[in-house]
Amino acid sequence: MKKLINWLQLAAAYVKLNFRSHLEYRGAFISQVVAMAVNDSCWIVFWTLFFTRFPVLHGWTQKDVLTMWAISASGFGLAVTVAGNTFQLARVVGRGELDSWLLYPRAVLPHLALGRMVPSGLGDAIFGYVLFFAFVRPDWQHMLLFLVFSLSSALLFIGFFAIAGSLSFFIGNAEVLAEQWIFSLITFSTYPSPLFDGVVKILLFTIIPAGFVSYLPIDALQGLSLKYASLSVLGSAAFLAIGVSVFYLGLRRYESGNLIGMRG
Amino acid sequence: MNELRKYTWIAWTSARSSWAYFGDAIGRVIFFSIILYIFLRLWTTTFTQTGATHLGGLSITQMLWYLTITEAIMLSGPKVSTLIDEDVRTGTIAVQLLRPMSYAYYRLAMTLGERTIRFLVNLVTGCAIAFLLVGQLPMVGFGMLTLCATLPLAFILDFLGLFLVGLSAFWLEDTSGLLLLYSRGVLIAGGTLIPLDLYPSAVRPILSWLPFANITAGPAHVFVSPLPQDLAMILCRQITGTLVLGAIAFVIYKQALRRVFVNGG
Amino acid sequence: MNVVELKNLRKSFALKRGGLFNRTTTEVTAVAGIDLIVQPGESVAFIGPNGAGKSTTIKILTGIMRPTSGSAQVLGLVPWRDRTKLATRIGAVFGQRSQLWYHLPALDSFELLSRIYNLDKNKYKARRDMLIERFALQPFLNTPVRKLSLGQRMRAEIASSLLHSPEVLFLDEPTIGLDVVARQELRDLMREWNRDEGLTVFLTSHDAGDIEHVARRVVVINNGQVMLDDTVSTVKRRYLGQKIIGARFHEQPGTFDMEGVTELKRSEYAVKLIVDTEKTDIDRVAAAILHAGSVADITIEDPPLEDVIARMYGDQRNGDQRNGTEKASQTGADAK
Repeated sequence: MKKLINWLQLAAAYVKLNFRSHLEYRGAFISQVVAMAVNDSCWIVFWTLFFTRFPVLHGWTQKDVLTMWAISASGFGLAVTVAGNTFQLARVVGRGELDSWLLYPRAVLPHLALGRMVPSGLGDAIFGYVLFFAFVRPDWQHMLLFLVFSLSSALLFIGFFAIAGSLSFFIGNAEVLAEQWIFSLITFSTYPSPLFDGVVKILLFTIIPAGFVSYLPIDALQGLSLKYASLSVLGSAAFLAIGVSVFYLGLRRYESGNLIGMRG
Repeated sequence: MNELRKYTWIAWTSARSSWAYFGDAIGRVIFFSIILYIFLRLWTTTFTQTGATHLGGLSITQMLWYLTITEAIMLSGPKVSTLIDEDVRTGTIAVQLLRPMSYAYYRLAMTLGERTIRFLVNLVTGCAIAFLLVGQLPMVGFGMLTLCATLPLAFILDFLGLFLVGLSAFWLEDTSGLLLLYSRGVLIAGGTLIPLDLYPSAVRPILSWLPFANITAGPAHVFVSPLPQDLAMILCRQITGTLVLGAIAFVIYKQALRRVFVNGG
Repeated sequence: MNVVELKNLRKSFALKRGGLFNRTTTEVTAVAGIDLIVQPGESVAFIGPNGAGKSTTIKILTGIMRPTSGSAQVLGLVPWRDRTKLATRIGAVFGQRSQLWYHLPALDSFELLSRIYNLDKNKYKARRDMLIERFALQPFLNTPVRKLSLGQRMRAEIASSLLHSPEVLFLDEPTIGLDVVARQELRDLMREWNRDEGLTVFLTSHDAGDIEHVARRVVVINNGQVMLDDTVSTVKRRYLGQKIIGARFHEQPGTFDMEGVTELKRSEYAVKLIVDTEKTDIDRVAAAILHAGSVADITIEDPPLEDVIARMYGDQRNGDQRNGTEKASQTGADAK
């Protein structure tokens, strides 16, 4: 417990420094935050247009889609604001920045994760929370569940970023691949998963686990179902665990120095 | 035989050396396929659920082809504004500006070349995906012709928009925000994902005259329903848009040039 | 307890080359059997040409890399196994890596470091203030690091690496790119910490001045093996006591006939001399040059390290051949 508090304090310190570092270029920072919030809002406009014309889609209403967006945007925003370096893990490893982190007396992955903040993520997070509280207007049970899902999807994203980024331990030039893989997760988390069936559905709970962000949470919220809620949280925890394991596996490989293109 | 081997080796070496570019291209194809797939699923489901035969005047096959074209156009754009932004920030633009108008044309030429190729790649990919999901489209022949007629101006219009975004690097610390807004403009106001006919009737006339709608929606519309009067309308709007945006671009450009000489590049 | 203990340390990489179809794997040996013992309070310069195995050895010592075979212990710990524990007791200042946040004042980075290392608040503050004073950081403490000169940045960098009171400090090319004054300042600080505070210093450098002014012991690495391990004074006497003086004149200069001065090169208006500083003082040679004619340009530099090492290598080989020393046969046995 004490360790957790210690880490939370460290995280807070990093968030503060990252934030202040970005504020050195105030104009750019604000424009990135605002632009992302506006970008996300455009999708809400899209879905509003759509649902005005077609009120129901596979049992999903406009409120459901907005909620889904709120969860994925806030989760993603939280993940890349606090643990932004996992988002760019492939680049960190590929550009030899990993050594720096190995020299500190801290567990590598969590410490490394804190090292960077993606400024637009703040826009996503603000958008997600504002969207949910202003437009969905939940009661306290839904609100509580939402906060849980927001956090758990953040953890899912972090775990997933770790998996994708760790590719660079095993394949050279993995940046593009990791980027595409991450992009597909983000994309699928913003479309109602009932749209997909069969093989794609299986994909959405395995290789591109958007189902834990968009499908299960919405099901859970629709019926205030504890079963779906726990499944969703468990799934996120699982991916976090996998991400951590894959990273440390890759790290062992890195330490042996046999990476392709490794310079002695 | 030796000649053949030599050229094969050259081709293979040049292919290998452009692996990074190739990897990029693959990335883009995946990007495009995912987006297109999702939207094809969205509209197929909508048709099935509502039981309608036509939505916004389009049948299901027409709708899917519409999406394929709009997406193919939208995702074919090379990152012109980012390149211009870089040119401004690194000062390269000062070198290019020795003969004023040629920088803009230089960028336009490069964009058109690259864009045409990417569009064709997207089109082929899109055709494959749409075909797998739905099937043939009647009147493809004419559709191709009208599409080809509207593409050049569509690309030029988009270029002008991105050009303006890139030029804002002279005044803004960071143009990525503006770029995002512009591309969302094309996405939403431009009827890329939902045909304009399905928008509320109040906004329809305004949107159809804005440049956004004539970059993706316009060409896609005349592809799926190649009526001469529609074609004329779209071309008319594209020309108007080009003239207006072109004029704005010219003015902003002159202002920007002044900035180069004031700041010393 | 020894600070560093390396026994027959070896590291080789499997370097994969080739395209998709004809992959070849060559084994590249970076470290080919290094034995080394460093005791507390020593100040060791670890030098060698590029690719000699210096960086690899340091990476193994700091726990970033695992060796192929042999043993390594730093402060009694196995670096790659007890990396976190070791990290609290060592400091590292590497060229490519900056501990300081670029856009923020150094003070903020210090604050963060105190959290990373879990330093007691009061102890940290006392130590921080002491370091600020000793490293003369006060004038620019609240300036963003990006606005500092390289010399100021390096001072802050080294100070930051000492915040957690490490017992040994690893430095990689700390004075590279610095001007003469900044370089001397930094060397003085490093020497001061070694002599007065008992900090074990382990530095790699290409600069003979670093070796002369900071280290008391020199270990020369070449081809992954220790070529020479001796005190700085010995090495200085035999190998570092030389300077190269180049001078350009407005007219043809005369000859230089002084003890300890050998002419390396001569052209119509220029001359290059090598001076053995044990035999003649530099200022006497410089004076002689200025008297020899109207001087347009004069440069005084150290001979390149590569040349010095080549001479060391040559001498060592000759020495071993002559004496048939144990070292040679041992090295030979190890190389197998």
